[in-house]
Amino acid sequence: MKNIYKPIEGVLENIITESSKIKTFVIRPKERFDFKCGQFIELTLPGIGEAPFTPSSDPAVKEKIDVTIMNAGKVTSLLHNSPKNISLGIRGPYGKGYPLHKFEGKDVLIVGGGVGLAPLRALLFGLFADINKYNKIVFRYGARTAQDIIYKDQIPVWAAKERVDWLTTVDVGDPSWTGHVGLITTVLNDLPIDMKKAVAIVCGPPIMMKFVTLKLLDLGFAPADIYLSMEKSMSCGLGKCGHCRIGKFYICKDGPVFTYEELKDTHDIWD
Amino acid sequence: MNKVYFIATDKLSFLVERLRDNYTVFSPAAKPQNYTKEVDYSFQKTAAKDTLLFNPYRCVEPLKSFFTLAKEKAADYFACEDNLKDLGQVIIFGVKSCDIQAHRIQDFVFLEGAAEESLYRARRENTILISSDCTAFKEVCFCLSMDVLPHPTTGFDMNLSPLNDGFLAEIGSEKGQELVNNYPEYFAVAKDTQIAARLAKRNNLIERLKRELAPKNIPPTSIQQRLIKEGFSLDTWSQFMQTCVECGGCNLICDTCHCFLLEDRKSAGVNEKVKMWDSCLYANYARVAGGANPNKMRAQRLRFRFTKKFDFFFEHLKIPGCCGCGRCIEVCPGKIDIREVLKDLAKKLNLAQ
Ligand SMILES: Cc1cc2nc3c(=O)[nH]c(=O)nc-3n(C[C@H](O)[C@H](O)[C@H](O)COP(=O)(O)OP(=O)(O)OC[C@H]3O[C@@H](n4cnc5c(N)ncnc54)[C@H](O)[C@@H]3O)c2cc1C
Ligand code: SF4
Ligand code: SF4
Ligand code: FES
Repeated sequence: MKNIYKPIEGVLENIITESSKIKTFVIRPKERFDFKCGQFIELTLPGIGEAPFTPSSDPAVKEKIDVTIMNAGKVTSLLHNSPKNISLGIRGPYGKGYPLHKFEGKDVLIVGGGVGLAPLRALLFGLFADINKYNKIVFRYGARTAQDIIYKDQIPVWAAKERVDWLTTVDVGDPSWTGHVGLITTVLNDLPIDMKKAVAIVCGPPIMMKFVTLKLLDLGFAPADIYLSMEKSMSCGLGKCGHCRIGKFYICKDGPVFTYEELKDTHDIWD
Repeated sequence: MNKVYFIATDKLSFLVERLRDNYTVFSPAAKPQNYTKEVDYSFQKTAAKDTLLFNPYRCVEPLKSFFTLAKEKAADYFACEDNLKDLGQVIIFGVKSCDIQAHRIQDFVFLEGAAEESLYRARRENTILISSDCTAFKEVCFCLSMDVLPHPTTGFDMNLSPLNDGFLAEIGSEKGQELVNNYPEYFAVAKDTQIAARLAKRNNLIERLKRELAPKNIPPTSIQQRLIKEGFSLDTWSQFMQTCVECGGCNLICDTCHCFLLEDRKSAGVNEKVKMWDSCLYANYARVAGGANPNKMRAQRLRFRFTKKFDFFFEHLKIPGCCGCGRCIEVCPGKIDIREVLKDLAKKLNLAQ
């Protein structure tokens, strides 16, 4: 019988520096590994520790998975400092991921902040695979400064695609930055979308998700059309260890993507 | 209706003697008297010739400690085969109704949902639970307030009910029936008069426990979920939390608590995942990277424990995540009493009867 706590082995093939605090780790699993965009994995640094991350690569690509990781603590800093070609452990995929079929025929608004862009990149690949099914994709990306922007080479390619409307904003401008300056909530007015048939997908730090959600409600989005990527402390990823519970949900098993409708009666979701 | 047999007291001793050939047998042993002058019982591995002791109420240890160990290896990785220790064929005597109820919850957690835990499954299958009716109760017992009767009705392999000259053995599963089939010489078919005697004893204990619990006014299961939902913002949590020393004892001793933490280590060159019980009363339980913590305050952590027991489990299993065993009450150095917390909520919400 399968041992649910045993990771499969993957080889860390490449490490791409995205910004001073964020790197993308390219991992080649030694066994077949499938995931859907928005599902997450538990990534093990052998003998050291594990942490949950959402793959940022195209789910259709089977031989490699990318994981984009911010240096935030014990496991992540050791990962940031590790050499290539070491073995890493992968458990998963866990959680439900994005219900792409519910976005069909809609204007899809995606709002990302910080390393929250990682799962959204996998989502973009998922949407691009069948782009004609969606009316349009409106992306609003907020980074702290121009130096914190990740996927720098890819954003112009995505932004130039047909049906895509992209805007990047930085909280704090500097002379090198010629684009928009202002918090993410300032670029959500006058969106080129038809509110009556639109969905919004939000992923970023909790404080950003909170204010973006409030803004979207204000703009007239229905709570059931706002998709949030929740983050809480996790250990098992399987609804057994108890850590990630909010109210009646386990984030790992019932999420990590929830509609605001599902969560609106749950206490303390933004803490 | 389950099959019921009679087994005489001396025959039960012979049976246990024989069972030791094929199983590791655990049964209750009396511990030195505790501070309340009650005799406590503890599950011990019995050796040849040990007599089987009947415990009138539950043991100190939670039954979960047979199925998930406090700290143990959960996986080896990568190349190696898992080398996990199952406990072998085990028979546990002295299991009580509250333990059985708690195991509905442990089973729900580890056998259902996204996936099942193979080690838990193996241990469950290799273990025979022989429960028994309670014939007395502890000061902290409040099973009836959680809709749990002081005698098991389901969930056991065999249940023993003491009569004057022996026990009625009710069969609750195929494993229980196999025991009878394998050792038929010890069992006789139960007589109607014996079944009537069991009923009388059971009713008598229920009446005594009801009388004991009545003045305690513990809120019934019908309003417990409401208490937690509506009492979310009350000061009950911060008041009761003042004496908490964050030892985690309440969680670790609780038979329904199941939280754990996975840690990685290297042992003799092999990478291992180690699984250990965790406590939501610990400050780090909900901490995320960067130090943010939704349960920074002890009051939030106490509330988290109660929302799990009385909201989450009502929502998913239609039963409270508490079997009324009272273990957490005995263990808490801060004298935080789950019954008093529920009562305080009821009083403040004007829902007290
Ligand atoms: C579903 C999900 C998807 C995510 N996706 C991404 C992603 O794509 N990219 C990304 O950069 N980040 C992602 N994160 C966040 C990422 O998981 C954290 O940044 C990571 O866990 C940090 O680990 P660390 O060991 O470096 O940090 P630390 O701060 O050292 O530890 C963080 C966690 O480890 C545990 N822990 C550490 N010490 C203790 C202790 N003493 N007792 C108990 N617990 C302890 C806790 O659970 C704590 O929350 C995601 C999180 C979730 C929940
Ligand atoms: S909460 Fe306390 S009384 Fe209820 S099952 Fe757990 S230890 Fe027993
Ligand atoms: S047993 Fe009592 S003191 Fe210890 S953590 Fe639980 S509530 Fe706090
Ligand atoms: S991470 Fe263990 S229950 Fe969700």
